[in-house]
Amino acid sequence: MSKLATWARLKSPWILHFNSGACNGCDIELVALLTPKYDVERFGIKLEPSPRHADVLLTTGAVTKQCAERLKRIYEQMPEPKFVVAIGACACSGGVFKGNYTVSGGVDKVIPVDVYIPGCPPKPEAIIDGVVKLLNSVKEAKPNGKK
Amino acid sequence: MGDRVQIQPAHLGKASIQVKADSNKEVLKILLETNKNAGIIALTGLDLGEKIGLMYHIRTNEDAIVTIITDVPKENPKIPTIADLIPGAEFHERETADLFGVIFEGHPNPARLVLPDDWPDNLYPLRKDAKIGDDMVKTETSKNQAEISQVQSEGDIVNIIIGPQHPALLEPEKFSLKVDGEIVKHVEPRIGYVHRGVEKAAEQRTYLQDVYLVERICGICNACHAACFVETVEKILGIDVPLRGKYLRTIILELNRLHSHLLLLGHAGLEIGYETLFQYMWRDREPVLDLTELLTGNRVIASAMTVGGVRRDLKETDIPKFKTQLATLKKKMDFYHQIFENEPSLKMRTQNVGTLSKEDALKLCVVGPVARGSGVAIDVRKDEPYEAYGEIPFNLVTRDEGDSWARLVLRLDEVTESINIIDYALDHMPSGPFRIKVPRVVTAGEAVNHVEAPRGELFYYVKSNGTAYPERVKVRTPTFANIPSFIKIAEGGNIADVPPSFVSLDPCFSCTDR
Repeated sequence: MSKLATWARLKSPWILHFNSGACNGCDIELVALLTPKYDVERFGIKLEPSPRHADVLLTTGAVTKQCAERLKRIYEQMPEPKFVVAIGACACSGGVFKGNYTVSGGVDKVIPVDVYIPGCPPKPEAIIDGVVKLLNSVKEAKPNGKK
Repeated sequence: MGDRVQIQPAHLGKASIQVKADSNKEVLKILLETNKNAGIIALTGLDLGEKIGLMYHIRTNEDAIVTIITDVPKENPKIPTIADLIPGAEFHERETADLFGVIFEGHPNPARLVLPDDWPDNLYPLRKDAKIGDDMVKTETSKNQAEISQVQSEGDIVNIIIGPQHPALLEPEKFSLKVDGEIVKHVEPRIGYVHRGVEKAAEQRTYLQDVYLVERICGICNACHAACFVETVEKILGIDVPLRGKYLRTIILELNRLHSHLLLLGHAGLEIGYETLFQYMWRDREPVLDLTELLTGNRVIASAMTVGGVRRDLKETDIPKFKTQLATLKKKMDFYHQIFENEPSLKMRTQNVGTLSKEDALKLCVVGPVARGSGVAIDVRKDEPYEAYGEIPFNLVTRDEGDSWARLVLRLDEVTESINIIDYALDHMPSGPFRIKVPRVVTAGEAVNHVEAPRGELFYYVKSNGTAYPERVKVRTPTFANIPSFIKIAEGGNIADVPPSFVSLDPCFSCTDR
C-alpha cells in the first residue's frame, strides 16, 4: 500500500503557490512553468487553489511580518505528507531585503523547508530541477513531513 | 500671502513653492483655480531633525510638476488634509502618517496602510531616530481572532474576504467586500502584505547597491525602477548619458513594457476564465524574454542600468534575431485583436464592466493605461520625453470607453507601438560609447524624475547629502496611484465582475507596498 501511495505522490505532486512578500520575479517564472514552453503538467504537476488539496508548497518572497502568520497557517492546513520548496534568493535567506524592518529573512524562519532553489529569479529550468530533486528524495526515502 | 509663501526656481520639477504648514491648503486652492485638473503625483516625507518636511508634488494642466514644500515640528506633526480638494491624495496621506507619524487633520479614513496592524504605535520607521529591533517579525498564529470575527454578516450584507492567499491573486493582499446578494456595496482593500521597507533600506545602502535594490521592488517593471533611479541620480550629478546609452536604455525599457503587457493580457485571460488566452499569450511572451536575455544577460530582472549608461552593449550580430522575433510578434497581435474584437464571451465579460469616467479618473489622479482608457491623455514619454523618446516617433494610444475592455485593448495597441519603437531604435542606433565614468561620490542635492512604466507614471525623489549613502529615496509607483480607482469601479457592480475589473487595472502589489 505504501508503495502505491509513494507512486501516486511521485506521479502527481499537486502544488500550491504562495507569495510571502516577493517582487513577483520568482512568481512569474513559476507561472511560466505552466505555460507551453516548459509545461510541467506533463510531470503531473497541477496548480491547486486550496492548501487542503496540495502536496507541495512553493513559496517565494522574503517573508514579511504580515505574511508570516498566514504562511504558518497555510502550512498547518496542508495535509501530511507535505513538502516545502523555497524558490529564489529571498525565500532562501531574505535576498536583498535581509535586515529590513518588516522582513523575517527566509521561509525557514517560519516553516521547515525541504528544497532551496537559489536565483534572483531562478530560471524555470532551475525550478524544474529543484522539483525533480524533491521527487527523487521522495522516491528514495520515506517522506518525513513531521520535522 | 507674501510672507508665508516663497516661490523658488525649478529644481524639483518646473517650480517649487515653500509655504508655512497651515497655508498648504490655501496655496493648493489657488493652484487648483488655474489648473482645474491638477492632480497629486506624490507626497514625500523627509526627516529634517527637529522637523518633518512634507513635499506635495502636484501635476498641473501642462503636465508639469510643481512641488509645494512645507514642514511640521516633530513634537506636534499636525497639518490639514488635502483629501477633500484632491480625493486621490487620501492614500498618500495615510502612508505618510504610517511611516512618519504625521497627523492629517480631517482625513476621511486615517487607518494603517502599509504597516501591519500589530505594529507598535509611536514607532515610525522612516524617521532617522526610529529604534527598530531585530525581532519585529513573530510567527504565532494567535492574531487570527480579529480576522475571523470580521466575517459576521449584518442583515443581508455578507462579508467576503478575498484573502492573502487566494487562487486568483498572484500576490498577498486582502480585499473585504461587503456584498448584498450579487451586488458589491463596499470594498475595503488592506495592502501592506508585501511591504519590505525599501525606502528605509535604500538609505542604508550605497547608490550602486540601491540600483539593484530598487530593481527588485517589482520583478515585472524592474528596468523602469532602475532607469528612473539612475536618471534621478544623474540629474543630481548633472551628467548626460551618451546617445548610444540612451537608445539602449530605450530598447530595454520597451522590451520591459512588451513582456509586462503580454503578461497582463494573459493573466486577464485567467481571471476572466479564458485559460486558452493565458496559455497563448504566455507562449508568445517567451521570445521577448529570450531577447531580454540576449541583450542584458537576464530573463526577468535585467540589471542593465547603471549610473552613467548601461552595463552591456548590443552586438551587431544580434540585431537580425531581434528583427525577426519582433516581426513575428507583431503579426500575432492581429490575431489577438481579432479575438478581442469578435470573441463574444470575452466581450461580455469585459465590455461595460468596471467603467471609470474621465472625471473620476482625474479626481483620483490615476495614471497609465487606466487613465488613457478613460480618455485622459497622459504619458510621460510624450509629456516630458526622457532617454531617446524625444527622437523616436510613436503614437499615444487612448480610448474613451473607460471600461475593462478598453483598458485591455489599449495595451494590445501599446504592444504594437513598443515593437515599432524598438525597430526604429535598432535602425537608428548611434555609434559611440554606451556609458561614461561618473564621480565616485554624489554631490549634495536633490532631484525628482518620472518615467512611464508599463502601469503608468513612476516617480522618484532622491536627496543626497554628499556621503556614500542617499539621505532619502522616495518611490511613488503607478499602482499605488491606481488603487483608489479599484474601490470606485468595483462598487455597484456584480461580484462576478470584480476579477475582470481588478485585472484590467494591472495591479502589482509589490510595487504598491514597496
